[in-house]
Amino acid sequence: MFLAILVCKLGRFVGKLVGKGSSMPGKFALKICPDILRRIQMPPHIIAVTGSNGKTSTVEMIAAILRADGKHVVYNKEGSNQIEGVTTLVLAHATMGGRVKADVLLLESDERYAKFSFQFFHPTEFVITNLYRDQLTRNGHPEWVYDAILPAIHPETELILNADDPLSSCFAVGHEKVKWFGLDKCSVSTDAPTGVYRDGAYCPVCKAPMEYDYVHYNHIGAYRCTKCGHAKPATDYTATDVDLENGTLTIDGGVTIQLAFRSIYNVYNILAAYAACRECGVAPETASGVINNYILKNGRMQKFTLGQHHGTLLTSKHENSIAYDTNLRYVASTKADCAVLIIVDAVSRKYFTSETSWLWDIDFDQLNRAHVRKIIFSGRYCNDLAERFSFTAISPEVWSVQPDIAAAAAELKAQGGEDLYVVTCFSDRDKLLTLPDVKKEAL
Amino acid sequence: MDIRIIHFYPDLMSLYGSYANVAVLRRYLEALGNTVTVETVVPGQEADLAGADFLFMGAGTERSQKAALADFARFGSAVKAAAESGTAMLFAGTAMELLGSTITDAEGKVYEGIGLAAFTSVQGKTRFVADVYGATSLFPEPVVGFMNKCSTVSGVKTPLLDSLALGFGNEGEKTPEGFHWKNVFASELTGPILVKNPRLLAAVAEAIYRRRGETLPEERPVDRWAEDGYAITAEQLKLRCQSK
Repeated sequence: MFLAILVCKLGRFVGKLVGKGSSMPGKFALKICPDILRRIQMPPHIIAVTGSNGKTSTVEMIAAILRADGKHVVYNKEGSNQIEGVTTLVLAHATMGGRVKADVLLLESDERYAKFSFQFFHPTEFVITNLYRDQLTRNGHPEWVYDAILPAIHPETELILNADDPLSSCFAVGHEKVKWFGLDKCSVSTDAPTGVYRDGAYCPVCKAPMEYDYVHYNHIGAYRCTKCGHAKPATDYTATDVDLENGTLTIDGGVTIQLAFRSIYNVYNILAAYAACRECGVAPETASGVINNYILKNGRMQKFTLGQHHGTLLTSKHENSIAYDTNLRYVASTKADCAVLIIVDAVSRKYFTSETSWLWDIDFDQLNRAHVRKIIFSGRYCNDLAERFSFTAISPEVWSVQPDIAAAAAELKAQGGEDLYVVTCFSDRDKLLTLPDVKKEAL
Repeated sequence: MDIRIIHFYPDLMSLYGSYANVAVLRRYLEALGNTVTVETVVPGQEADLAGADFLFMGAGTERSQKAALADFARFGSAVKAAAESGTAMLFAGTAMELLGSTITDAEGKVYEGIGLAAFTSVQGKTRFVADVYGATSLFPEPVVGFMNKCSTVSGVKTPLLDSLALGFGNEGEKTPEGFHWKNVFASELTGPILVKNPRLLAAVAEAIYRRRGETLPEERPVDRWAEDGYAITAEQLKLRCQSK
């Protein structure tokens, strides 16, 4: 063990000097001592966060709250959430005797790799944010991901689950220690599911039809199976009121939070982080104090100017229709005249694919609003976007195609001064943000 | 013509934008001057297949597929009779497996298919996800798409794609893909394959016309965006094939 820790620490030191990734030192350590993670003395709390959407935001918020509470938190900020990266992180913060010098080990965990990381140790608290259609070119489909996460769940782990998600809530079946977070019926709720497809139409447990008392977005809400009884459970941590218009969120009827970003997404990330921290003994006022007007510094929402346009870049993961739907809902909720630029150039920054089926799962009709004056599609797959839009109710007069991203930016710069929303992915965002005419505003 | 389309289980079997196959076919047929009716069927609902011009079922998760099969079995004889008489149909993604004789799930449990064809499907714990670039005898242009499945299909004598230069087919990498017999089209390629492949859309429309004793008009609508999108994807996949 001593040798493995030494090699890992040295490897990390050298890696930092040469700017190399964070998984190699852990890989060496695992070769020397394959069960090193079992031998290490872990901190009293190991919090893991997984799910399709909101992992990074939730983890960052948890870290900020716990630190404000005086806890020493170690977490995989570098985003290496496979076992090698986790090993590097753990050993880098361990004494040579094998004790992790922290109060909390916090891990953002890839859905498909969690079972490998947690074969030698297990989280004390495991937050699963949601399971949606996401990166089908690598993940298959949400039930496939569910089956991949299941072996990562240890009977002694306390699960912190989203009560409003019919699929990820199934992790509670047969599991004793579960805490639930969820959102009561509120001003954003609708009577029926929204979106292009209905992943809540059938029960994930028995496949009988499901009904909804209310819906917050897509298939997230108060579901009830008509046959087996699978239903939204009573919640332990509850958003009792949400007012996106005025940007306020009330938790458990008493804790009021000002939302820096008025998105329903943000509400769920906050709830998940709040629940996890409360389970670690953090007082409500400490948590709310940090979350109040909390601005994520991960660059997912970047303000900029382009000519006379004030721009907002809304990072939506490609291949993730709910991420797109959420950002389109945000654009639809704005009042001032605006233009929208949608860029699909590289479907993924990590692997090659020409797969564009996911465009058909996005509810682009949300942009059918009078204040959305202009929509431009750009990037290699601009024609696929145009084909998708030709099946919406949005007038073809509103949208146009400009394959070249720089030319699309020049076209926008030359005309008008309306607000500009750019909807794209991490794989494509810098193709716009690095253009000389685009002036980024400080976060 | 009045054309009647039956779309089986649009919510249960809805992965990867499957619905767009029906939407694009409907628009194409309407642009040719037809009146198109789309009837949807949910589990337990009665449906009269007699006189239908086109049957469609899209992709579902492996669990949804079994739920669909449990209901679809009652239509087995009618679907086989319709296929025999030349009715056009498309079974896409995991729906294709329902047409075969059996589906074996990852735990080894065997389910009876409707037996329209003799092929068998065996599902496993590994997922085959990859872009596909292949050839069909129906038209000279390449077929593009994406494979997202966990099964191996054996015993297909008349595949839809005779060869693949890229991706997974019925029995593994670069093996023939799908099933085609009379006017029955089946492919495990996921998503809106009729949007992605304008030639395949025309081939399906032609099958619908043929069954009615008609031929597709010479003057046909050209979907510029779909054509341009196809051209770029085909080019990208061809480059990918060459680089491998």
